[in-house]
Amino acid sequence: MADDVVDVLIVGAGASGAAVAWSLAETRMRIVCLEQGGWMNPAEYPSNGRDWETRAAKEMQVSPNLRKRPADYPINDDDSPIAILNFNAVGGSTILYSAHFPRFHPSDFRVKTLDGVADDWPIDYATLEPFFAQNDHNIGVAGLAGDPAIPAHEPPLPHIPMGRMGETMGRGFNKLGWHWWPSDSAIITRPHNGRGECLNLGPCNTGCAQGAKSSADIAYWPVNERAGVELRTHCRVREITVDDRDMATGVTYFDADGNERHQRAEVVIVACNGVGTPRLLLNSTSARFPNGLANRSGLVGRNLMLHPWGVVIGYFDEPLGSNFGPQGCCILSQQFYETDTTRGFVRGYNMQITRGGPPVGTARGGVTQGTIPWGAGHHDAFDSLFGRNIHLGLCCEDLPEAHNRVTLDPVLADSNGIPSPRISYTLSENSRRMLDHGLARGAEAMEAAGASKIQKAPAPIRMAGWHLLGTARMGTDPERSVVNEWGRSHDVRNLFIVDGSVFVTSGGVNPTTTIQAVALYIADSMKQRLANLFD
Amino acid sequence: MTHNQIIGTDNPLNDDQRRNLAIVLDLIVPASADGQRPSAADVDVLGYVREAESHTLDGLRAELDQLDAEAIGSQGESFASLDPATRQALVDAVREREPHFLRTLAMQTVTCYYRNDRVLEAIGVGARPPFPEGYEVPSGDLSLLEPVRRRGQVYREA
Repeated sequence: MADDVVDVLIVGAGASGAAVAWSLAETRMRIVCLEQGGWMNPAEYPSNGRDWETRAAKEMQVSPNLRKRPADYPINDDDSPIAILNFNAVGGSTILYSAHFPRFHPSDFRVKTLDGVADDWPIDYATLEPFFAQNDHNIGVAGLAGDPAIPAHEPPLPHIPMGRMGETMGRGFNKLGWHWWPSDSAIITRPHNGRGECLNLGPCNTGCAQGAKSSADIAYWPVNERAGVELRTHCRVREITVDDRDMATGVTYFDADGNERHQRAEVVIVACNGVGTPRLLLNSTSARFPNGLANRSGLVGRNLMLHPWGVVIGYFDEPLGSNFGPQGCCILSQQFYETDTTRGFVRGYNMQITRGGPPVGTARGGVTQGTIPWGAGHHDAFDSLFGRNIHLGLCCEDLPEAHNRVTLDPVLADSNGIPSPRISYTLSENSRRMLDHGLARGAEAMEAAGASKIQKAPAPIRMAGWHLLGTARMGTDPERSVVNEWGRSHDVRNLFIVDGSVFVTSGGVNPTTTIQAVALYIADSMKQRLANLFD
Repeated sequence: MTHNQIIGTDNPLNDDQRRNLAIVLDLIVPASADGQRPSAADVDVLGYVREAESHTLDGLRAELDQLDAEAIGSQGESFASLDPATRQALVDAVREREPHFLRTLAMQTVTCYYRNDRVLEAIGVGARPPFPEGYEVPSGDLSLLEPVRRRGQVYREA
């Protein structure tokens, strides 16, 4: 097995790698996926125990630099106001994502044409629509049809419960005449494909013990393996190798025992996210690609987009049960999603209503901020916060800027000695204005909903860099993009990229549904062209 | 070797420190007036610290000793010997002067407190982990969406 040739080799078993493997499996080609992490065991997730909050803060810590699991690689993000977050395992960062699943809008693919900034994508919403729908069906997406903020679609499962807190915010938005709708959520609300429905455990973003959250390990990989895809865990890829015809020949990787191996392949697909993918390409240097593989444009690693995040918290006098329900999924408002230049910025943001804090989190936050005192007033103060607070998250569209980039750190390396990524990122004036606007509108929404106290967190939130986009952008011009309009490298004709790296712009929503739709679209494009894939 | 010596060897705090700890924990989170919620002195905070944050024990010992030193210095007797009002005033004064004083213990206290069975029952989440029972959450009144539907499409065609 060590050096035989597989048809397709996928690097990374997260959201996009899982989706592309699912689609290609029907070809009966020999497909192997290498994943640097292992399988997670939902029976060991924190929410199985009463001490789940303290366990989650350590074991499921969002920053790889703090979590330091064996599968993690360190990331130098000192030169960024937003920390890079991820998870490394089968399922990738979907292990910890909140599963908030709003789609990109049609306008997100025509940013240059509509708003005169950034670039248009070489594909559009209509092209991706069938793949959004396919992905919704594959993994199980809950939602409510009829949302006037996006083109009509039918989520296959009933929406996530809004609870009293969702109703409260909905009334507030109605008072202002603003859009709102129950969020599309990658959480199954009815049994789906042999999986049990959501039980409202709450801490989705520490791993779902029930398996109702549609993380890629649960929703895709069992199906992929049954279809014949071989998944090798604890295999960390060091570089993609090439021949003198500029064709990828395979990858060099370290196996679970730390042995260096080479796997030959006819096609290599990279699915390592917007930081891991440029890291791998930049680490893959050779005589023909001295500046990194597929990087003749010089754009690998550039145009990093992170979705600057803001948070407004509203505290209410009446009990809302806001501590119950899927943490990150309830309702959203896209009132300020589309461009209105009178606001002082272009593009827009999504308002994501999320649940209130759990017991330990509420108490620690209150003691830290002085809102929960020591002594006799402790219990009343705790009761006035717990179950009575609602969080509003602002997901701001980040425009591509070449100076925001991923490079290789000259010193930092992972446990196999592979150079780590280094992030250089500054917040743009457009993003700053958008955040300020969002914080003011968020406070307005909380006031309309009846909050008696409103708190705006300093923005951007540092621990919010989940959405890693744009570092190997898609386009038709090899001088101005890394991959073509169907994900194939301009420079290496049997190398494909299918993760968020290929995004031309970032939209203003959580990107996983669009990432998976793009991955399915690229896989479908490959299948359509199998006879002349490398022409 | 006596039984007491065995226990003593395994004990991270001496008797004075333990007494001071119990007093301080009760100052941080006293029992609720209705008796439903215990004092933090009764939820084994020390056990939590030993299990999860043992690296902070040296600092804890020093702070508990400091309480005695402050009490003897200002009142001429140990912290535990003071009346409750004087203890409270002494702790407040040290915290005012040294904002970090007992801050780590306060965070450890609430972390431990809000995973205690009696406390979880009292605040309505039940003395159990989230899984496997989960929780009931109302679906919500979808008629609230009527104004949103009436306003119609809010996205741009492209």
